[in-house]
Amino acid sequence: MTNETSNSTDTSTDNDDQPVIKCDGVYKIFGENTEEMMAKSNGNIDVEKFEDAGCIFGVNNASLEVHKGEMLIVMGLSGSGKSTLLRCISRLTNTTAGSIFIDGEDLLAMDAKELTQLRRNKMGMVFQSFALLPHKTVLENIAFPLQVKGTSTQDSMKRAMDMINLVGLTGRENYFPRQLSGGQQQRVGIARSLAVEPDIWFLDEPFSALDPLIRKEMQDEFLRLQEMLNKTILFVTHDFDEALRLADRIAIMKDGVIEQCDTPANIVLHPATEYVAKFTNDVPREKVLTCGNIMEEVGTTSDFSEIKVPRDAVIETVAEAVLNEPKSVAVIDDNDDTIGVLNRKSIIHILFGKDDSETLSTNQAAGE
Amino acid sequence: MFSITKTLGAIIAGAVLAFGSSAAIAKDSSKPIVIPTHNWSSQVVMAYVIGGIFESLGDNVEYKPADSQAVYEAIRLGDITISHEVWQSTFGKSFYKAMSKGGVIDAGTHAAATLEEMGVPQYVIDDNLCPGLPNWEALKNCKGVFATADSGGKGRWLEGPQSWHGDLMPVRVNALGLGNDYVVKFAGGADAIWAELASAKKEGRGIITFNWTPNFTDAEGFVFIEFPPYTDGCRVADGGDGSCGSPKGWLKKAANYKFPKTHPAAYKAFSKISFTTTQVGQMAALVDVDKLSHQDAAKKWLAENEDVWKPFTR
Amino acid sequence: MNHLTGHLARHPKLVQFAALLAVFFVLYFSIDPSENNILWRLPAFLAAVPEMLNNSVEFIMFEWLPIETYNVEIEDYETSALMIEITRAISRSVLFCIEFIREILIGGQKTIVAFTSWDFVSENKWARWPALPWTVVAGVAITLGYALSGRWLAILVGCATSYIAVFGQWEPAMETLSFVLIAAPLSVVLGVFLGVVAFKSQKFETVLMPLLNVAQTMPHFSYLVPVTVFFGVGDHAGAIATVIFATPPMIRLTLLGLKGVSPEVLEAGMMNGCNKVQLMFKVLIPTARHDILVGVNQVIMQCLAMAVIASFIGAKGLGFNLLLALNQLRIGQALELGICIVLIAVVLEKLSLGWANKQIDYFADLSFVERHKYPLIMGGILVAGVVLASIGGLIFKDGINYFYLIPHNKGLTTELFWQSGVDWIVDNCYSSLQVFNVGLIVNVLVPMKNAYLGMPVVATFVLVMGIAYIVGGLRSALVVGGLLLFIASTEWWDRALITAYMSTFGVIISATIGLISGSLCAQNKFATKGILLVCDTFQTFPSFIYLIPVIMLFGVTDTSVLIAVIIYATIPATRYTVEGLSNVPQSLQDAGTMSGVSRFQRWIQIELPLAFPHIMLGINQTVVFALFMVIIGAMIGTDDLGQLILKSLSDEFGIGNGLMLGLCVAFIGLAVDQILRTWANERKKALGVA
Repeated sequence: MTNETSNSTDTSTDNDDQPVIKCDGVYKIFGENTEEMMAKSNGNIDVEKFEDAGCIFGVNNASLEVHKGEMLIVMGLSGSGKSTLLRCISRLTNTTAGSIFIDGEDLLAMDAKELTQLRRNKMGMVFQSFALLPHKTVLENIAFPLQVKGTSTQDSMKRAMDMINLVGLTGRENYFPRQLSGGQQQRVGIARSLAVEPDIWFLDEPFSALDPLIRKEMQDEFLRLQEMLNKTILFVTHDFDEALRLADRIAIMKDGVIEQCDTPANIVLHPATEYVAKFTNDVPREKVLTCGNIMEEVGTTSDFSEIKVPRDAVIETVAEAVLNEPKSVAVIDDNDDTIGVLNRKSIIHILFGKDDSETLSTNQAAGE
Repeated sequence: MFSITKTLGAIIAGAVLAFGSSAAIAKDSSKPIVIPTHNWSSQVVMAYVIGGIFESLGDNVEYKPADSQAVYEAIRLGDITISHEVWQSTFGKSFYKAMSKGGVIDAGTHAAATLEEMGVPQYVIDDNLCPGLPNWEALKNCKGVFATADSGGKGRWLEGPQSWHGDLMPVRVNALGLGNDYVVKFAGGADAIWAELASAKKEGRGIITFNWTPNFTDAEGFVFIEFPPYTDGCRVADGGDGSCGSPKGWLKKAANYKFPKTHPAAYKAFSKISFTTTQVGQMAALVDVDKLSHQDAAKKWLAENEDVWKPFTR
Repeated sequence: MNHLTGHLARHPKLVQFAALLAVFFVLYFSIDPSENNILWRLPAFLAAVPEMLNNSVEFIMFEWLPIETYNVEIEDYETSALMIEITRAISRSVLFCIEFIREILIGGQKTIVAFTSWDFVSENKWARWPALPWTVVAGVAITLGYALSGRWLAILVGCATSYIAVFGQWEPAMETLSFVLIAAPLSVVLGVFLGVVAFKSQKFETVLMPLLNVAQTMPHFSYLVPVTVFFGVGDHAGAIATVIFATPPMIRLTLLGLKGVSPEVLEAGMMNGCNKVQLMFKVLIPTARHDILVGVNQVIMQCLAMAVIASFIGAKGLGFNLLLALNQLRIGQALELGICIVLIAVVLEKLSLGWANKQIDYFADLSFVERHKYPLIMGGILVAGVVLASIGGLIFKDGINYFYLIPHNKGLTTELFWQSGVDWIVDNCYSSLQVFNVGLIVNVLVPMKNAYLGMPVVATFVLVMGIAYIVGGLRSALVVGGLLLFIASTEWWDRALITAYMSTFGVIISATIGLISGSLCAQNKFATKGILLVCDTFQTFPSFIYLIPVIMLFGVTDTSVLIAVIIYATIPATRYTVEGLSNVPQSLQDAGTMSGVSRFQRWIQIELPLAFPHIMLGINQTVVFALFMVIIGAMIGTDDLGQLILKSLSDEFGIGNGLMLGLCVAFIGLAVDQILRTWANERKKALGVA
């Protein structure tokens, strides 16, 4: 996917194909000598030379696109550069090299005023530690982005109240953040980030600081909101399960490099690197893969079962029915046309099957 | 180059000055005369008395608390207009220092003859704690009476703060041959001396302390020790050996050099003002003994002594 | 023996200390005390500096860029200088603000003069702003208290204002208040501003920090003379001296607070579309507000603690009246004045806290009256108060309208009660205390003082730098050595040794008392609150008041000075001990309890070690407080640096002497600070609580 970016500098036309967020060869390099090394390098960044000079790569040649209404999840362990990449794209930190376009506009070329305008109107962000203002009430916190924008007190309070209802905090508008539980605080954080009705929604490990049960509840809540709002989302997490559960596409990062960027199913089925495979091994695939992912070609047989399963159905939900069915089960698309078949064998393979990556992961585990 | 900076300075300062100056008149300026108040009663009452006299002339008056040593620098710079109690031995040094820098003038002397000297409370004499006092030679035989915890068995002279007379008293103790029997301890201020005096009186114990007259202690009785009389040149600073007592001192008045020009009538009165020992004592007693407030004491004194102060204004 | 060597091997620092002490004592006894022996006393290299400093300040103030102006009043040309005109312009504007507030409270004509002239005011006797009746000021303050924080604050404000009025201290209290109301906000604004600049610029912070260290350890007396030279004498000078004294802690706490703001909150502010100004004022400063409010609290306490000292250079009000009362030995009256100062401090602190915590209700659907109810109530109080005052004018026939203004010292007084109390103590305790006093002086203080004075300068350097080296390494040793070298090169080394001896004694006793009482009080929540209240009270209560009774009991001796030092310096030792112990995590205490330790064991083995770094900072503050009080002890009578600082008020080279002496005191404090702070930080790291 890195190859198809060359033509997208043409930003004059505003069509649905144009990515909302587009990163091209983004670098974030830390270290005292960075500037000097950049001056010497003439744009050709030689990782080894930089590292010898004491530079550290936070983000190393990352390219990605997020399209309208799409949720891209950046997944990586701590230190993988995922938050740094997010901060480059929100320009909370300065990018060392590369280019970033938001709706086709060059983010890195914006002056402070333009940037402020962009953030006031198009961006919202949720933080891992909630980052609420301790001196403001729930209501004031949510109204804050509107107030700095210059919205009248009356309007901003009204809008903030709507947001409070949206995230289910009705009745707690006059609480201070310290009086709320973690989950409730993050609801405030979410409401605040949505107050200006942003097009782009950044979420930096929003649920990592929460208890597992609350996390699950918040993920559901998040899916509900996204269904209603249909934002363009860049979501950062270190939790692979969370990524699988929520994402349209996942970008897996390691040491600043994007190892693979694809849909959850493709990542599970075809991990691009050994590192990615380590994550996918333990994944309960019946929960990730859909019928469409594993169906076989229709072939010649027409002896189908009575049951039909939709293409988008997750295996877990249809497994029992298919297993109880001696015949093959037809997979249909949105138009009820049969596009493939499922049989017991393929389901059993998904549920209990051991593929060759199994041995790999045991070796790895023994090595550790 | 210098002239440029000078002009520049003048321009800036001109702008700055515009805030403060106002029109002038031949008679007394209506700007207030600033009278300092220090932390002892006679001075504060006298400040209000003199303020009352100025007000009777139609002048505006303002009172400002100030440290009694730092006040002369303030007069020099015009922040304070006058000082009406310049005690020779205590403030003479600060007064002359400010005068030599320019800006302070000597506005005459009060009639009160002052004495600033070491002495003992009356009961020390009455109870005959040290037979032979007030003659200084008596001290030779009663160091024990005046000994304190930290004097190492010697008798102690409680002198005022060192800023008042420097090493005058330690030098005198040695010059009189009392060095083996007495030490000098510098008190931190008048308050400390009064506290020690009050405490000693309760116990009826002996104490030698620096004091002056006129002062509120006059009422309770205080006896100054009779040292060998002061002669010109007897002090170490003047070439002598220092074995002499204090001279009868003066009580002066000081003023800012502009005062005679800005408030001619008030200055004329101020230079005439001359209080006697008794009058200063009266003022202090109204507060210290009768427990009036300082303002009330001044009002009362002015009301009762018109014949004393009216002539100053003519 | 084996056991001992093993023990020493585990604690190499003990060995180092032992060796250091050995070297120290060898030097102590082997160096010949003679004037010319450079190992005994260093020559006074810096003896000429005070005069130079003095002359340069005077040159800049009075001679640099001279200006000739025509003074119409004396009909002559005057020479002035640029600097003095600039500083005097600052003085005039500060003074105008103070007078303005003062005249709103107690009336006057200066504000009218500022807009017209003295001639106008003299000719038109009506041109005088009337005082507000005290009932109105009190009523408005009570309403404000209620509006900001509810019933309890209103009651507190009510009690405080009534006390002040009924005890006849209204006028001086309002005079003090008017200068605090200028000095405190000025300090806060200046402190926050400099704190923000230091936060933004690392370079500025590097330059600022040592200056703050010096400013916070320099005794106030030493900059009184420079302040009068620069700014003259009066309320403004008092306010400016107060600002100099109160701003450093504000800067420090602002910086601390800003640095503590989590980066995510900062990022959230940026993502919410704040520009730089909004980011600073709507995100950073409010988020750091816990520390900033501690700073405001400190500023208010410092301002009122300065009330007495500010009166040395012309501030009117409670402080000056207090000095007068003390001079007449009227302890009771002084005490009443002191309580007024504490009350004003408490009220201002609570009001500012209430204001900072104020919550706005955005959805209350209020009528005009409800929305403006507090201004309306205040208006009502104004009318009622004026009516009451005019009724009062008819009732009270003795010329004093108690409903309008109770004149100074015309109210109730408990003076006789306190006076007889003091008399009783002096009458009954003097002889027994005298035995104690003599014993202490002869057996402890005099030998200790002589031991300090008998230290050869080389031995002192070896000891102090050695300790600094063992605790903090070469850098600490060099810093401490540099500070000592400065003091040793002045003519005042012996004086400094006496200051050091008194401070050491004071600190040892204060720290012991503070540690014990703090530990005891930390065991119980109520006792903790109580002791912190006592600490606050004593910190604002003017120390001058207890100097007099102490002198009456112990005479003009070092004992008196040390008692005053101990009363004052025990405050931080206690406060930090209580804070340190109450912050020991509950889980650790529980762990201790579960492993079956007794309460005492728990204190010794768990609580104290964990609270140690914080307590160390308290001891550090104790040293600073002790130094301050030793210097103020000059008002009793000492022969240390303080005596000379007091003397510098009348010295020929007063500015230079005052500043240099102040630096000597500050450097003693900083040397101790360097050692204790490094030690505390090491311990913090070791305990993982940094």
